[in-house]
Amino acid sequence: MTFQIASEFTQVSLAHFIIFSALLFVVGLVGFFTRRNLIVMFLCTELMFQAALVAFVAFGRYWFNYSGQVFVIFILTVAAAEAALALALVVLLHRRRGSLNADDWKELHEG
Amino acid sequence: MSWLLILLPLLGSFVIIVSPGRLAKQLALVTSLVVLGVSVAAAFVFDGWGRGTWELTSSVEWVKEWGLVLQVGADSVSLILVLLTTFLMPLAILGSFNAIKSRTKEYYGWLLGLQAAMTGVFLAQDLVLFYVCFEFTLVPMFFIIAIWGSKNRAHASVKFLIYTFTGSLITLAGFLTLAWSYAQANGGDWSFEISALTNHAVSALSLHEQAWLLLALLIGFGVKVPLFPVHTWLPLAHTEAPTAGSVVLAGVLLKLGTYGLYRFVLPMCPEAVVEWAPFVAILSIIGILYAALICWVQTDVKKLIAYSSVSHLGFCVLGLFALNPMGVEGSILYMINHGLSTGALFFLIGMMYERYHTRDMGELGGLARTMPIWATFMVFFVLASVGLPGLNGFVSEFLCLIATFTAGGSGAYPGVLGPWYAAIAALGMVLAAMYLLIMVGKVVFGPTKATLRHDEQSGLPVDLTVREITVLVPLAVGCIVLGIQPDLIIDNTATAVADTLAVYQDIFEESMPGAAAFVDTSLPGGAR
Amino acid sequence: MIDVTLQLARIVQAMPPVPASEVLHVSGQWWIGFILWCPLISLVLCGLCAACRVKSKLPAWITVFSLAISFVLTLLLAFMDTPPERVELFKWINVHWDGGSFVANFAFYIDSLTILWMSFVTGLGALIALYASEYMEPDVGRGYARFFAGISAFLFAMICLVMGDNLLMLYLGWEGVGFASYWLIGYYYQKPEAVAAAKKAFIVNRIGDLGLALAIYLIWSTFGTIQYNELITVLDAGTYLPVYENWSVQAIPYLLMLAAFGKSAQLPLYVWLPDAMEGPTPVSALIHAATMVTAGVYLIARMYPFFLLAPESLHVVAWVGGLTALLAATIGMAQYDIKRIFAYSTISQLGYMFLGLGVLTTYGAAYHVFTHAFFKAVLFLTCGAIMHGFAGQLDLRKISGLRRMKGWRIVSWTMFIGCLCLAGFPLTSGYFSKDAILAEAFVSQGPGFEVLGWMAIFTAFLTAYYTFRVWCRVCAGEVRCEPGDEHHGDDHDAGTHGGEFHPHAPRFAINIVLLLIAAGALLAAVPYFMGNEVEHVAGGWVADMVHDSTAAEGVPGHPEHPASALHGAEAHHGSILGMDPHVAMYWISACVGGLGLLLAFWLHLWRRQDADRLRSWLLSRFWTRWLPVAMENKWYVDEVYHAFIRAPLWLFGHIFYAIDRYIIDGLFVDGTARLPRLLARCFQPLQNGMLQSYAVTMAGGAVLIALLMLLMLQFFTGGAVS
Repeated sequence: MTFQIASEFTQVSLAHFIIFSALLFVVGLVGFFTRRNLIVMFLCTELMFQAALVAFVAFGRYWFNYSGQVFVIFILTVAAAEAALALALVVLLHRRRGSLNADDWKELHEG
Repeated sequence: MSWLLILLPLLGSFVIIVSPGRLAKQLALVTSLVVLGVSVAAAFVFDGWGRGTWELTSSVEWVKEWGLVLQVGADSVSLILVLLTTFLMPLAILGSFNAIKSRTKEYYGWLLGLQAAMTGVFLAQDLVLFYVCFEFTLVPMFFIIAIWGSKNRAHASVKFLIYTFTGSLITLAGFLTLAWSYAQANGGDWSFEISALTNHAVSALSLHEQAWLLLALLIGFGVKVPLFPVHTWLPLAHTEAPTAGSVVLAGVLLKLGTYGLYRFVLPMCPEAVVEWAPFVAILSIIGILYAALICWVQTDVKKLIAYSSVSHLGFCVLGLFALNPMGVEGSILYMINHGLSTGALFFLIGMMYERYHTRDMGELGGLARTMPIWATFMVFFVLASVGLPGLNGFVSEFLCLIATFTAGGSGAYPGVLGPWYAAIAALGMVLAAMYLLIMVGKVVFGPTKATLRHDEQSGLPVDLTVREITVLVPLAVGCIVLGIQPDLIIDNTATAVADTLAVYQDIFEESMPGAAAFVDTSLPGGAR
Repeated sequence: MIDVTLQLARIVQAMPPVPASEVLHVSGQWWIGFILWCPLISLVLCGLCAACRVKSKLPAWITVFSLAISFVLTLLLAFMDTPPERVELFKWINVHWDGGSFVANFAFYIDSLTILWMSFVTGLGALIALYASEYMEPDVGRGYARFFAGISAFLFAMICLVMGDNLLMLYLGWEGVGFASYWLIGYYYQKPEAVAAAKKAFIVNRIGDLGLALAIYLIWSTFGTIQYNELITVLDAGTYLPVYENWSVQAIPYLLMLAAFGKSAQLPLYVWLPDAMEGPTPVSALIHAATMVTAGVYLIARMYPFFLLAPESLHVVAWVGGLTALLAATIGMAQYDIKRIFAYSTISQLGYMFLGLGVLTTYGAAYHVFTHAFFKAVLFLTCGAIMHGFAGQLDLRKISGLRRMKGWRIVSWTMFIGCLCLAGFPLTSGYFSKDAILAEAFVSQGPGFEVLGWMAIFTAFLTAYYTFRVWCRVCAGEVRCEPGDEHHGDDHDAGTHGGEFHPHAPRFAINIVLLLIAAGALLAAVPYFMGNEVEHVAGGWVADMVHDSTAAEGVPGHPEHPASALHGAEAHHGSILGMDPHVAMYWISACVGGLGLLLAFWLHLWRRQDADRLRSWLLSRFWTRWLPVAMENKWYVDEVYHAFIRAPLWLFGHIFYAIDRYIIDGLFVDGTARLPRLLARCFQPLQNGMLQSYAVTMAGGAVLIALLMLLMLQFFTGGAVS
């Protein structure tokens, strides 16, 4: 399967969206890996989500298939609910330890 | 009625869990007594005594396309084992009234759940139900050991669960292979009905395939029995389990293994069994002597009885693999008798432990003086266990051994064992007398130890209470009745056993021409 | 071989109809069952007494009464003089299958051998229970009911043993009497020695029982039946089957022998009997002297046809019997405990009985059983009376001159009668029964039977010596006594009043029983002169009784069979010193007995210091020192058993337990369980609990999977991705 890449930079093509989405994802990923603050980490996961959404929309538009858009609505809803839950968890965690550092929570380690 | 027997205890278990905890033990006792009543009624309604047919059958379709039909029913052998279960359960519940003080609701709930599963095993007529029940017995027992056990209970319960579970997984693999082979032969129609699969296994499997099936089944059931060398979970589990747990474990759970051998191994892979019976017999004989010698050096009374189970069940397996009616009858009797006498011994040890909080023979002594009633029962059940004629243990032991002896390989009593097997196994009789009487000599007789203190806090008098005597008397009566009237079981199961063994008669007639099976007399090994 | 099998099978199958009508008439006498049920009822009632803590002599009266009924019924049975008959009581173990069956019912087989045994079992049982009612008096309200329940249980089992109609019934009785003996030896359960002795008796007997069990298996698998009447019909069928040469038939007597040697305390299984004297004395008298220990003789007599099929086995029986008699007599000579001396003499006399069986005189063996039951019961009961009166004193060095003490006359003179019989003094019962055996040792032909005969005569001399050693020490001589330190029973207050010891003399029950049994011991000589309906068999009533039973020397009439040849040897009378052995033996044994008696009187009554001098003389010489030492230490047999059997087994137990814990469980089971755990250890570092490292791992994993997919895609499509 191949897809066309516009020879001139006159038009915003699919490739731009994909590249944008990939950059967004990488930013979220790197942020998640490197930052210690739980809220920032959570925001980074949101960024990765949005990257996926962009890709969905772009592909949907490209194939003239609107399930991409439908998925976006879905995911936005889920993300909103999830954000509410996650922030509540973060608040609880903060109450327990008085810190937002992710490294404070490693009870699951073995040995 | 069969479903009632399985579901009633389950129902009782749910009722106990939702009702207040102080009622738990009364509710459990009532439930188990009702179930006992139902099973006795079933025994009267039952039409298969002495006929070998399956009665009280009923089936529920589950997923028909996959052959998943749950079927229950009983032949005389299953019903007798069900009766053993329903008979022991009220006693086990009554016996734990004083011992179990914490989390009573869960305890009695699990016990009744266990009863449902065990009954299910005996009544199942299809492999799915059988296997589900067979495995489900592990769960209640796991919790009973893990929560109400003694010091080392966590280790014991995990070992019990994983060990027996691993074993039965291999059995499951064997069953599935068999079912798959059946589906292949029948154009993709699956069935898990035991009789259909048995017919298929006998007629369609080659000797090689049967041998693999035998191995798979033997591992699972052998762990349960337990056969040497896969017995090591048993002493641990028995020692750590609470009294009622040990009673049920020795009384019924071990019999799931021998029942499996009788119900599946003997009918399903006859040719392989004929080939491998000496091997199994040797394992049982090793188990008999090895465990008996280990019993001798035990200091913990409960562990001694646990190891003696390994030794005793060896006789039971030996009888099965003698492959003649006397042996199998003896083995069935052995299942019942061991349940009664060893169950009672565990009760007695439990009663003593509740009072003195020790099971160490070095610390115990001279209990006959302080607890004469307890001592009387103790000596009685030890003698039943030793195999004193007139009590139950003797009949079964005798039948198993004489069957092994005469299964001489040629001549009129065909079989693949012979005099030597019986002669060596019979040494176990002497050793049993040795270790059990040494134990009795140390614990029951001798001078009363001054250091031995009766625990006032236990809420128990020095000697047995009426409740405890009530637990023991039915068992003692059972021992005497089966000792002088073993015909009660032998006559009623004779046809069922003969049907199971019919296939062997054909095999022996084929392989040893001139020997009319089970018909006339000859010398064991004489024609070799 | 097959045709042999079929031949045998045909006989077995064709058997029941023909002989059942002739030999066997199934009795309609309903009361016969009560011979067995009486002790059972008594057992149950005594058990109830124990449970209700009855504080009177009620259990004793129940037992005496019910045993007396049994005895009367037995006599009734004896006077009816019926042919062998079967009485079915109820079904026990019946396994039927297509064309075959295993049948063992609760049924009686009654022939004259049964009646002979039953007569002294129930008779002595009743009398000794009466004796015990006084003897056990201190225990009233404590162990009294338990004791009499044990006696009833013993009688029940013994009657099963003797009257049973099949081998399994015999086995039931066999183990039953073993258990009753365990029960009663361990009566004083607080005494560690009593407990140990009881345990030892049961376990050693179990070894013998093993032989019996194996014999039963072998008989059933060979003959397809274990009922006496059917077995006898096969063996008496008059045809000698080649199958009898087979090992499975030849091995039967050896296994039965093992059982008999265990129960009757013969070499090498005799060690339990001396220890069994820890039990109350009436028990020693009844079980360990008069009745139970003769069960081995009964077994061999009952199964005699099997022994005749393998004549070599009888030689073994004879030699074991002879050697045991000698060995036990030598040990008995050197003991000081009266009860133990009589225990060893029991072993020795049982040895005579086996010698008799071995030299083909079942009559002599049975007659000796009969007389021995009476005189040994007397001896033990007098022993018991002494023990009762002297607070447990049994050392013959510490009591003297009993016959001059007040109230002890009956005891000392009944003891004298018992001693005379045991020593084989002319015209006493023991004289006739012992002669019957000794003479036959010279008549029958077997390997070294002549030597055996002289050995037995020497043993008779020793017997006379050690018997009267006891009597001379205890009953005769100067009046002197020391009380024992222990009180017979657990802790009752013996006759020590205010520091001075007064032996309490036996009262009515003990005295009357002693007199009755002593009279019985003397009268036991009478049967020798009466009866004798059967021609060519000397020896009176007992011989008649034996001749009508399975113990009659009937052999399958095959001319070439060695047993027939042996049987024929009876016609050829042997000789001893050129005389007819039966006649010669009257003189020889009278001389020998008299010599022993004189020696005992010399060393232990007239010149007691000579005995001590002899002992110290033996001890001072290096070459003779071993003799008294070994004899006093019972030839170290117990120690040898301990070192070579018990200790190795015990060691094996420990080794196996170690193997079980460390190798089977530790290495195999736990080792297998440890494998997955080890594997898990390798990946454990990944599980560090840090959220971000998990994320990195996940991302890395995703990348890896993506790369893998890409590679695979390329591999499968040949790189045609773009």
